Amino acid sequence: MNLQTESEVAAVPEGGVPDGGVPDPGEDHTHLAMHFHDLDQQKSAAKLGMWIFLAQELLFFSGLFMAYFAFRFLYPDTWLAAHELLDKRMGTLNTVVLLTSSLTMALAVRACQLNDLKSCVRYLWLTIACACGFLVVKYFEYAHKFQLGELPGHHYRFEGITGGAPELFFSLYFMMTGVHGLHVLIGIGIMVWMIFGPIRRGRVSSQQYSLVENVGLYWHLVDLIWIFLFPLLYLVR
Amino acid sequence: MSSQAAHVEPIGIYLTVFGMLIVLTMLTFAVSYAELPGNWSLVAAMTVATIKAMLVGAWFMHLKHDTRFNLMVFLSAFWFMAVFFGFTMTDLTTRGALFEIRDNHALQAEKGEKYATPAVLNEGAHGAEPGAGEGGH
Repeated sequence: MNLQTESEVAAVPEGGVPDGGVPDPGEDHTHLAMHFHDLDQQKSAAKLGMWIFLAQELLFFSGLFMAYFAFRFLYPDTWLAAHELLDKRMGTLNTVVLLTSSLTMALAVRACQLNDLKSCVRYLWLTIACACGFLVVKYFEYAHKFQLGELPGHHYRFEGITGGAPELFFSLYFMMTGVHGLHVLIGIGIMVWMIFGPIRRGRVSSQQYSLVENVGLYWHLVDLIWIFLFPLLYLVR
Repeated sequence: MSSQAAHVEPIGIYLTVFGMLIVLTMLTFAVSYAELPGNWSLVAAMTVATIKAMLVGAWFMHLKHDTRFNLMVFLSAFWFMAVFFGFTMTDLTTRGALFEIRDNHALQAEKGEKYATPAVLNEGAHGAEPGAGEGGH
């Protein structure tokens, strides 16, 4: 992907013409792909691509949120009874854990900006630890519901809810938290790969940290979605 | 697009934003125990969640210092969601009115009354004369 020879070609003395077709000198062009004019363009293209992906992620989740609102409107009594079964304290704990992971992720990106890769890796590990903590709490919540038979669709066998279609609430609960949990899992995978791949191989620096920045954006979006999932599933009566 | 020289925030800003997020989380947790009437619990929870989302977006995701174009791309998703939610919920919540009109017709037909336009439709008919105020085509 990186055209190594570019770096030798770009060894032009300072004060070159930035917009004259010649890559802007005075920058490290080691990471400049051949189809970009300069590093600024490459960075903004990478970021724009990420934002479009994040917008798509929101629309992807919006279908589930829409289903939640529709069935909440159609079965208000069921929704009220079912949400009482979720443990608010577990949900709040997980919110705090995920917010903490967002903080450490923001600090990891900041460390990259300052070219402090050691701190960056440390913050990434902290983020991964929080993410794992989130999944552990989620595991206990799921296990509890499996035990009681508060399950989606025709697996539902809990009998404590009066009101129609209680299995619908749990279908949505498991689908929304499940897809969100999958995003957390994918995030953990990408962070581990990033630490042992590009960062260890020296492909990340204060000049080129788009990768870390974009993974950070992804992680904050996962947090953002949970910020809305948490009150809708656990708190709202 | 000007040079993307990294805008490095002081660490204190991240900690402040994080503190605010935790406080808001505790607030929304506390409010959930209050017996708010009607839909107010939903409104309160969603308001707090939106404030939290804006904090995360502006500071953690650096939208405050990002280009306007990236902000627009991201906000466009919320616009599409508003259209999606708005029209679907309008459909769901007003569908009953159609059944009322239909039942009204059926009742009148049973009684052998002359077919009459229901009052709901009559009201609409006055405002919508052909050619008047229909610029949307």
